[in-house]
Amino acid sequence: MNLFLYSLIILTGSVFLILLTARLRHISSGIFLVSLMAGSVLGLVSAVNTLVSRFSWGYHLNIRMPLGEFYIGLDPLSAFFLLAIIILFLLAGIYGYGYLKDEKKNVSVHYALYNLALIALMLVVTAKNGILFLMAWELVTISSYFLITFYDERQDVRDAGYLFLIATHVGVFCLWLMFFLMASHTGSMNFDQMMLSSFPPALAGVLFILGIIGFGVKAGFIPLHIWLPHAHPAAPSHVSAVLSAVMIKVGIYGLMRLIVIIKVFPEWCAILLFLIGMISGVGGVLYALGQHEIKKLLAYHSIENIGIITLGLSIGLWGQIVHNEFVTMIGYAGALLHVFNHAVFKGLLFLSAGSVIRATHTGEIDHMGGLLKKLPWTGHLFLIGSLSICGLPLFNGFVSEWLVFRSLFEGMFHLKMNAIIFSGLGIIALALMGGLAAACFCKAFGTIFLGNSRLVDDSHVKESSWVLCLPMAILGGICLWVGLFPSTMVSFALNAASTISSVEISPLMEGTVLSPLLTLVIVLVILIIVTAALFLFKRMAMKILPVHQAPTWGCGYSDPTSRMQYTASSFAESLLRIFRNVLGFHVKGADPQGYFPKAPEVSSHVVEASEDLIFRPVFGCIKFLSAKLKMIQCGYTQMYLLYIFVFLLALLIWKMV
Amino acid sequence: MLWLDLALISIVFLGIVILGNNRLRTTIQLFALQSFILSLVPLMVHPGVHAMILSVGTFILKVVIMPTLFFWAIRHVSIRREAQPLISYGKTLLLGGFLIGVAFLISSRLDLPDKGISNLLVPCAFSVIMIGFLLLVSRFKAITQIIGYLVMENGIFLFAQLLLEKTPLLVEMGILLDIFVGVLVMGIVVNHISQEFDSASTVNLINLRG
Amino acid sequence: MEIPLHISIVLIFSPLLLGIIGKTKAFFAGRWGPPLLQPYYDIVKLFRKGSVYSTSTTWIFQAAPIVCMAAALTSSMLMPMGGLKAPLPFWGDILLFAGLYGLARFIMILAALDTGSSFEGMGASREATFSCLAEIVLFLDFIIMALLTKKLVLSQMVGDVLSSSWHTAGAVFLLMGGSYYMVLLTENARIPVDDPATHLELTMIHEVMVLDHSGWDLGLILYGSTVKLFVLGALLINILLPSHNQSVLIQMVEFFVGMMVLALSMGVVESCMARLRLNRIPQLLMVAFVLALVGLLVVLNKGM
Repeated sequence: MNLFLYSLIILTGSVFLILLTARLRHISSGIFLVSLMAGSVLGLVSAVNTLVSRFSWGYHLNIRMPLGEFYIGLDPLSAFFLLAIIILFLLAGIYGYGYLKDEKKNVSVHYALYNLALIALMLVVTAKNGILFLMAWELVTISSYFLITFYDERQDVRDAGYLFLIATHVGVFCLWLMFFLMASHTGSMNFDQMMLSSFPPALAGVLFILGIIGFGVKAGFIPLHIWLPHAHPAAPSHVSAVLSAVMIKVGIYGLMRLIVIIKVFPEWCAILLFLIGMISGVGGVLYALGQHEIKKLLAYHSIENIGIITLGLSIGLWGQIVHNEFVTMIGYAGALLHVFNHAVFKGLLFLSAGSVIRATHTGEIDHMGGLLKKLPWTGHLFLIGSLSICGLPLFNGFVSEWLVFRSLFEGMFHLKMNAIIFSGLGIIALALMGGLAAACFCKAFGTIFLGNSRLVDDSHVKESSWVLCLPMAILGGICLWVGLFPSTMVSFALNAASTISSVEISPLMEGTVLSPLLTLVIVLVILIIVTAALFLFKRMAMKILPVHQAPTWGCGYSDPTSRMQYTASSFAESLLRIFRNVLGFHVKGADPQGYFPKAPEVSSHVVEASEDLIFRPVFGCIKFLSAKLKMIQCGYTQMYLLYIFVFLLALLIWKMV
Repeated sequence: MLWLDLALISIVFLGIVILGNNRLRTTIQLFALQSFILSLVPLMVHPGVHAMILSVGTFILKVVIMPTLFFWAIRHVSIRREAQPLISYGKTLLLGGFLIGVAFLISSRLDLPDKGISNLLVPCAFSVIMIGFLLLVSRFKAITQIIGYLVMENGIFLFAQLLLEKTPLLVEMGILLDIFVGVLVMGIVVNHISQEFDSASTVNLINLRG
Repeated sequence: MEIPLHISIVLIFSPLLLGIIGKTKAFFAGRWGPPLLQPYYDIVKLFRKGSVYSTSTTWIFQAAPIVCMAAALTSSMLMPMGGLKAPLPFWGDILLFAGLYGLARFIMILAALDTGSSFEGMGASREATFSCLAEIVLFLDFIIMALLTKKLVLSQMVGDVLSSSWHTAGAVFLLMGGSYYMVLLTENARIPVDDPATHLELTMIHEVMVLDHSGWDLGLILYGSTVKLFVLGALLINILLPSHNQSVLIQMVEFFVGMMVLALSMGVVESCMARLRLNRIPQLLMVAFVLALVGLLVVLNKGM
């Protein structure tokens, strides 16, 4: 436990040191890397320790804080999230050092803010006091705002930053309300004491709604997600990686902590979570299909994965409401494992996307092509990330989706009729999400890395340096490790799940979850053996048989160009056409006119429904009403004195009546 | 029991296939097949002389006479395919599935004194009525609308099987006669529509407004 | 010990299905048709040929057929065949079953995009679309089977419990079988979804994706698709087989006869129907979806 405190101290000290030596770039970068590595290692060791030993501890610091106290604690739930946070921040930090090496701006401030964000996140997941939690949350928001707007010379980056700030603060408002309601009901701001008291169903429902709005803005539930697709492309790639992988998850952490505190909920809360999970999941991946810019595509996929996590959370919550321990544990474990897995593979995807953008200086998928030969490390690691995010066997995405699926099926077996209907809908939604995600990543990987280059001149494209490739390779290795040896992470997830539901794990329950995984691994090993055997047969045969190389057949054209290939938009068009009513999919473009037509332009795009149908009209209304109120401010001091006089008169009359 | 379930499910199955079909010949053939299976249902529910008469009557009327009438009508006005319906075929099917779900929900909440032999009788009856109604509402060609009306009649017939022993035979035969006359009249009307407007789409009836 | 036996049975008998389909189609067309063992001769011929590789392709192009075949063979580990039990069943293996085919499909689509030709891109796009829709129907069928048997192991979901409930849940089997049959046709690229006999741009989904593969790759793809047809068809036959209490040999014979009847029916469907227009295929899958939905409603109705 002391290790965690040491890590916090090291990181805090490093923030000041980096700011002090901001002018001397080499020294500040060195301090950044050393402190990041040291702090991360210490934090990791303490987190793993807590998860393995299942022991929770707390620490009080006697400093005077307004309204609250500095009380942090590390239980398995916090430790699990800490694991994801530290791994991602460490690797993305090393990547960021290499990514920003050639920048002319002052990157030291950026490094200091990076460490500050790490400290803030570590405090958020370990805070045991409501005020400390909210202050750390604010610190996360502010530091990530500055991290996102690194390229603030661009207008779209500034706009994305404003949107992020405003959206997060709308959420924080709800969080403040929620915590104050809880404190006024239980009489204390400390989580431990809040856990001891019980909440009436109506209050629990109100707190839940506030929590969903407050944490949901951060997590990216549809329709509160609109800041995500703007913030991710605007930020530098390592910041996008930690934003998507880790900062979104603290929203989920908040919801889980809320469930820990308010142990009993009415049933409609679980139904609401189900609906949010299904809509976010399917909506996120459908919107992702329509995107042409790589980081925006990945941002929408984060929304989809949050949907999957929420589905697992909702079936766990339902199990908790009806006191079915097995369903609860599996549901929460699936959600938690997907949190970790998503952090790993989404971080990997964003880092490799950053590497691609750095090499080609563009983010448009439709301009790239054939980059697998030029960027082998980036490309193959992107492939590993894609296979993981689609939930295909051999990688970690499959294990966590398997857990969530299993929890939904078990919910269908053990729970009542309402739960059966929603679990069935959830299973179908998950299947749809899996299929669509596979289509989307085939499109992304195929268009960027395979085929021939469309518009980008790839003669000057070269692979990124080892500083950028090493973190990606480590993340890819983790994906493969969890996919093939899932027992460790699954048991960690079960430990953390038992904290949420305050249920002890019996060895029988753990065995029921873990033993099918062993057979799963055996089947996967057989898959690898059969693949290897077939490969060897083919190798032996290829030595004897003739092999030739030739350009791809051009379908009969005498002069085929690389722009005749299928682009990402053409690939996704058939799917988008099926779902066009949901997505507002338009194709704009003229058919060629006349006998000697000029080159026509065709473009397709997907309309972001929440922005255009919900928020723009609402804000337009508010603007309109505010404009009407402007006439109060007329400029004459006599009028203002008259206002005061009228108000006093009204008060006196009211008091008399 | 098993055969009754299979028959009921195949009636609903054929109803779904009719919903997704746009060829008139196939629709009429499917309706004939559905009516054939329907005519077997009274024999499975309450075997007896009463049921035998009903079965044979339904068979002659709905499987032999009416489809022949329809084929004659089609050949006479030479229409082949249904134009694009009010809502596209995919959405119609999805809506049909949703309505079947609603039918099952309603029948689970209904408090009927006598459930009948099979658990599926009431839900399937409601489903077929809903499918028939959907056909009636969403299609433009008069022939398909008549088929929709007849599918609805099939559903009502299924529902009436619950009360088979209590309804006199005369009432049942009267209902069948009613349907027969109704269809005959509709066939004549279709003929006149097509002669007047040179097409058998009911959209043109709008021109008759004052 | 069971694992090599399982794999060998699958490897030996799968191409026979294609032969039966070919003979049935020929019978309907009034021809003698190719010999029953023609697919075996085709595969051996392809394995003896050399290959031409495109300069745009990477290792993914050569790895895809291997992964497809390996995934299909591994999925047979989870599938019981008549009396022969599955070698490696475990709770929740239907998800691995679907996942393996998803992996194979993913790599095949990537291999198609690898060639940089618009033909393959078209096939890849269509394949991605229809497999998404077919997967929903497949999972709906899994839900029905799981609700009927209250188990999540593939071998147990199609086993004794299912066969003994023919009397009570026969209607559900009809619906589920109908919808699964349509999924079978979609996944294996048979008519009315895709035409396996031509390479025309208008008709193909799977055929155009493998346009540039040759030699060993094409042979592995052909073999892999027959294994996929065998394993997915085995699921249907296992559901519909009447009883599971007799001796192993009789069950095996019943199983193989059932598979041959399945291949025969697919040949009949191919001879009697034309391929659907592409924008009608989602409607076909929608019909399958509604059928499965009605089956689910019947199951829930009985449960109440």
